[in-house]
Amino acid sequence: MTGRALDVLIVEDEMLLAIELEHLVEEVGCHSLGCAMSSEEAVDLAKKLNPDLALVDVHLSDGPTGVEVARKISSDCGGVALFMTANVKRLPEDYAGACGVIGKPYSEHGVRTALSYLTYCLTEGHAPGPVPVGLTLAPAYAELWGLTDLTPKSA
Amino acid sequence: MNDISEPARDTGQGAARSPEDLEAIIEARTRALTEALEQKTALLHEVDHRVKNNLQLISSLLLLQNRRVTDPALKASLRGMLGRVNAIATVHRRLFQSEDVERFDVSAFIRDMVADLMGSAGRDDIRIELDLERVEIPAAKAAPFALVVNELLTNALRHGFPEGRGGRIFVGVRRQEGEFRIEIADDGVGLDKDTTPSGFGLTIVQLLCQQLKAKSETTDAEPGARIIVSLPVNGAH
Repeated sequence: MTGRALDVLIVEDEMLLAIELEHLVEEVGCHSLGCAMSSEEAVDLAKKLNPDLALVDVHLSDGPTGVEVARKISSDCGGVALFMTANVKRLPEDYAGACGVIGKPYSEHGVRTALSYLTYCLTEGHAPGPVPVGLTLAPAYAELWGLTDLTPKSA
Repeated sequence: MNDISEPARDTGQGAARSPEDLEAIIEARTRALTEALEQKTALLHEVDHRVKNNLQLISSLLLLQNRRVTDPALKASLRGMLGRVNAIATVHRRLFQSEDVERFDVSAFIRDMVADLMGSAGRDDIRIELDLERVEIPAAKAAPFALVVNELLTNALRHGFPEGRGGRIFVGVRRQEGEFRIEIADDGVGLDKDTTPSGFGLTIVQLLCQQLKAKSETTDAEPGARIIVSLPVNGAH
């Protein structure tokens, strides 16, 4: 871990997943701001709490609204969104402004590694190395963080 | 569609239909079929989505309970089950990532599994060597296969290298004489010659090898242990 602790908002309507994610977020040295289950709640919390990073599921309690949540968080709240979804192929090409995606089902180790990696990217402004297995970066962010080779090690 | 502009031979009413009519019928039929296919595809995506989410839910349950319990033996059991669920989850992630949902890329899967297992073991003192040929098996066999590989890898890690002893684990996949072989060899503490190996993990390997019509053979690698699992390539269909 480098730099300060990131403030992380969890946007997930499955409570057991959200709580376990919260544990993981704290364990890698980030600070959890809480969990939102609907798009409205997510945007409200993001506006109020200004998270550095929002972990966003696509399917929320009010439908497939996660994509719009990610778009609003990155355009209106100054935060960076990261999708966590089982439907990686259905994300828009521009990732709705999000920095990337962790595909479900993810592993505990996969999430830890991805969070540590993103903490470094967000605080240092460049990537510490190749993208870890389980994480896929949006093209815009890969470029921003100085990655020319987008293929994860296990492609 | 111009090829079918000949009058229909038998319309049941004796009257030949005009080419325009026929084209309209074909167009309507094609549209209906396309729609049906789209619906089926959407349904498949929906089911895939649910399977993945449920696997995620199962692993979250195991992780959450693991946080609550203090008994080391119980913790080890939960960790073991979590590893098995993760192996199946890796299969599902891989299956729908590829274009072909009926074939399963064994080597790509092993690379994912090894990265995850080694990462979560946090053992920098163990080196991994991979020698993987591209081999595919039917998707229906992917989950039992993944469970076998998971047991063998975790076994090599856990029993071969007690804390403080570093070394090397080799994982090889290759085709040979109508079958394909997975070799997992380590230079760890090796087989205990005085006790017969037992345990739940081993039972899983035995049962699933039987299911997959695979042979597994454990030998002394001096130092360490080597296990070779051979699966029939053709019988695998």
